[in-house]
Amino acid sequence: MKLSRRLVLKGIGGAVLGLPLLESLMPRAARAADSAALPYAIFFRQGNGVAAAQNTSELGAEPERFWPSALGALTTQSMAGRAVGVLSDHRANLLLVRNINMKDYDYGDGHARGALQGMTARGPVVEGAGGSSEASGESLDHRIGRVLNPQQRDSLFFYAGRRGGWLGGPCISYRGSGARRAALHDPWVAYQTMIGGPGGLTPEAREQLLVRQRSVNDLVKAQLQQLQQRPELSSSDRQRLDLHLSNVRDLEVALSCRMRADQELIFQQQAPGYDSTVGDEVLATAKLHMDIAVLAVACGTTRAAVIQVGNGNDGDTRYRDPATGQLMENFHYISHRRSSHDSSGGIISGSDVLHHQVDLQFASAFKYLLDRLAAYQLPDGKRLLEHGVSVWYNDLGNGPAHSAWNIPYVLAGGCNGFLKQGVYVAASGGGNPNHNRLLNTIGSAVGLKNAAGGNLDDFGDPALPKGVLSELIA
Amino acid sequence: MIHDPDRPGGPGTPGGPGPAVVEQPARSVRMARLTHAQWSSTVQELLRLDAPPTSLAEAFRADPSQSGFLFDNDARALSVDEALWGAYQRAAAELAGQVTTDAAKLARILPASAATPEERARAFVESFGLRAHRRPLTSAEAETYLALYRKGPQAYAGMPAFEGGIRLVLEAFLQSPHFLYRVERSTEAQKDRVPLDDYEVASRLSYGLWGAMPDDALFTAAREGALRSREGVATQARRMLQDARAKSVVEAFHRTLFDVPRYATIRPSPTRFPEVSGRFAEYATRENTLFVRDVVFSRQGRFSDLLTSPSTFVNAELARVYGLSGTYNDDFVPVTLDSRERKGVLTQVGFLASHATSADPDPIHRGVFLSERILCQKIGAPPANIPPLPAPQGRTNREVVASHTEAPGTNCASCHSTLINPLGFPFEGYDAIGRHRTTDNGHPVNASSAPFIGSDQVQVRDALDLADALAASEPVHACYARHWVEYLHGRPFAEEDGPLVERLGKLSKEGGLSIVDLVVEVVTSAGFVNRHPEELP
Repeated sequence: MKLSRRLVLKGIGGAVLGLPLLESLMPRAARAADSAALPYAIFFRQGNGVAAAQNTSELGAEPERFWPSALGALTTQSMAGRAVGVLSDHRANLLLVRNINMKDYDYGDGHARGALQGMTARGPVVEGAGGSSEASGESLDHRIGRVLNPQQRDSLFFYAGRRGGWLGGPCISYRGSGARRAALHDPWVAYQTMIGGPGGLTPEAREQLLVRQRSVNDLVKAQLQQLQQRPELSSSDRQRLDLHLSNVRDLEVALSCRMRADQELIFQQQAPGYDSTVGDEVLATAKLHMDIAVLAVACGTTRAAVIQVGNGNDGDTRYRDPATGQLMENFHYISHRRSSHDSSGGIISGSDVLHHQVDLQFASAFKYLLDRLAAYQLPDGKRLLEHGVSVWYNDLGNGPAHSAWNIPYVLAGGCNGFLKQGVYVAASGGGNPNHNRLLNTIGSAVGLKNAAGGNLDDFGDPALPKGVLSELIA
Repeated sequence: MIHDPDRPGGPGTPGGPGPAVVEQPARSVRMARLTHAQWSSTVQELLRLDAPPTSLAEAFRADPSQSGFLFDNDARALSVDEALWGAYQRAAAELAGQVTTDAAKLARILPASAATPEERARAFVESFGLRAHRRPLTSAEAETYLALYRKGPQAYAGMPAFEGGIRLVLEAFLQSPHFLYRVERSTEAQKDRVPLDDYEVASRLSYGLWGAMPDDALFTAAREGALRSREGVATQARRMLQDARAKSVVEAFHRTLFDVPRYATIRPSPTRFPEVSGRFAEYATRENTLFVRDVVFSRQGRFSDLLTSPSTFVNAELARVYGLSGTYNDDFVPVTLDSRERKGVLTQVGFLASHATSADPDPIHRGVFLSERILCQKIGAPPANIPPLPAPQGRTNREVVASHTEAPGTNCASCHSTLINPLGFPFEGYDAIGRHRTTDNGHPVNASSAPFIGSDQVQVRDALDLADALAASEPVHACYARHWVEYLHGRPFAEEDGPLVERLGKLSKEGGLSIVDLVVEVVTSAGFVNRHPEELP
């Protein structure tokens, strides 16, 4: 058994090391001297747009509270007072992109359009279906997993928030057209999925488990294969069997990428509120998901992870207003500036400021992820943060208008020099859809290729102009 | 086996002259994975546990939603991915360990002693295998499980060989695709359909009516060929519908249909409605459960009763909201509400308060609910960035909504004035907590309306009139039957379901068909006991 890379944990600032669990992210069996640094992507999705400069019919002109004050090199000054200012310590590793435009597909609902297109760059299976919509193609995280992961394991898809709700809850990761993936809610279950077996075992018990599992796997595989051979099976039945069979395998590599037993216990006990509507608990859960994602990319068990916070319109999570210490109205109401899921409720005074407070909390959660990634130093002298790209993005450009234009994209980490760093740029394309080209750029950065072996350029809707956004490439 | 393939429309088909419509099976999934609830119930029965392994099932990642399908059993969305496979493995190991390290538990599933441990293990594999695969094992299958049994001493060196072997076999059964899926293997078409075999019919029945595996009586019926006739299936279905497992399923069906989970979002303004407590939503949920249980089972009622019965259950808080005199406490008791104010589930506080803002009734969402759930008419999503409702400025809630959504020539008006608002306005006689009211903002309430119910436009004075009109409408009953067909099959409505749904709509409306009878009609229909000759793509 050999890990894909050797990891050396070095103390980078006492404050960071003081965070719980960090030490535990060190794989126990890290010993092989393979320093191949494989790029990865971790996506962190926020819904409902951000409190950027906009004119709303409810509150009038709202000032800029999200983006930096100037394009070009990121400085503490340009980021000060804005939501992205929370990430100022990491500014040398940031790539902020404005003018990313989604296509205005007819999903029959702005949230469906943004959430389902976000990772797929695809239109709906059925037009105008609103909350019953499905995306018509594979998501980028799944493509990365399918092509680049060891054993073609699925990318990790996490969900923090209340089960169900708009768009059925978890809705951004797709195997293919209309084939939505299930998400991992409970961090402890997610952790056990990532390591491929039960936590809390001694090495001997683990070894015995693997032996037993092999015997049972052989029987199960044979039964699945017999079923697969039945000629009457339809393609959809066959696809489900294929998926099942592909997971009946030995997972020794993953089983060794794990926390220490005592840290596992802490992790198990920390897993809070994964079916919650309280913003503190939801974001705490997202941070635990981040811990697992970081461990997984550190060990190389996955090259892609996606963390969804809140359902299709994040209409159940209530974030805390630091000014009062109280929970706000649910985020969807706040983003609409009104006490309703549409326009029928009364105006929530100061909701633009509350929306900004929500943005700050997402920024802080994203910073947590970056701090974790930055605390791993690899043998090549770089930090894990720089080996991949972490993406904080949104479904919408703004809340009340549900805009498909100027979708917030905050990238961190350059995938070993592939992406520009330390700048705030405007993507090309005028007002035309270019979001698919952004996903192609990220896919290329992680290592996906087109058929000719060049940069990935044809991900997403084939009807859209192909290519990458070269202005993001170093 | 033939399930009356030539029967046009089934027994009791009304409809008079004209070409008979033949009821047909629709294309369906051949391998339907158990839902998590079904897995839990099945494990409990299979291992004869005292309680379902709820904590294990709760750790399974939730299945994804599929195109807005209402229920949790759309077989197209039920797959085994890496996360679930791992959880199945862990659960299998845990359960097999629990059972085989406890002599009393193990004794519940083991056959009587045999001459040798190997013979006893073989008898176990055959008897347990029948229940785990929900059909008799082939001899080759039995051999593979026995081969695993023989690895017991290596696999569990610390256990006695027999128990260790059984433990490994149990782990394998619980991970077998024949356990995790309902596999339908029948392929031989007779005329235009593929009759399911005895055991496949038994599983469709047990998972449809119980959400669990067949019991011994159903296995016996399958073995003896008693499920090859409509009468045989009906006999079993009626027996099964008496069972507590069926009650849970019927209640869960209506919880979903009436969107009872939405009650949890009821949050009336405490300043406007100080009379309701923080537990109001919980009480409304309880009322709905008791009401449905009473109508369906105690009264053997019809769908019309759910729509029009003024009898329900209240505790002290709900009694206050309903304006009842008398003394009540925390316990729920049966009451008959004033039939000049209440008729059926749509006039109960749960539906009304969960379709309201914190201060006002919400006729738009009340109307959308009726259209989609009661009439099976989908309403398109509203456009983005719709302007907000204006301030009342002395007007009634209805006037505000109407002025905002029904302006002639606007996009809004096309849906709101004909489809949505006419179904919502009759409920203006109830405020945001579902309390009856006669005035709104100082004006008399106007709850009259002329909604389309099916293709008929019906004039109603209020929600009571509307409830009667719905109960008298065949398309409304057909919509209810359609929900049952979707649920019992675990798939969306298909064209082939049309004739059955139409027949049941007629029977239900005309008064002869209780809800229990309606369910029996679905599970004895041609579509339930046969497969379509072609596969779902």
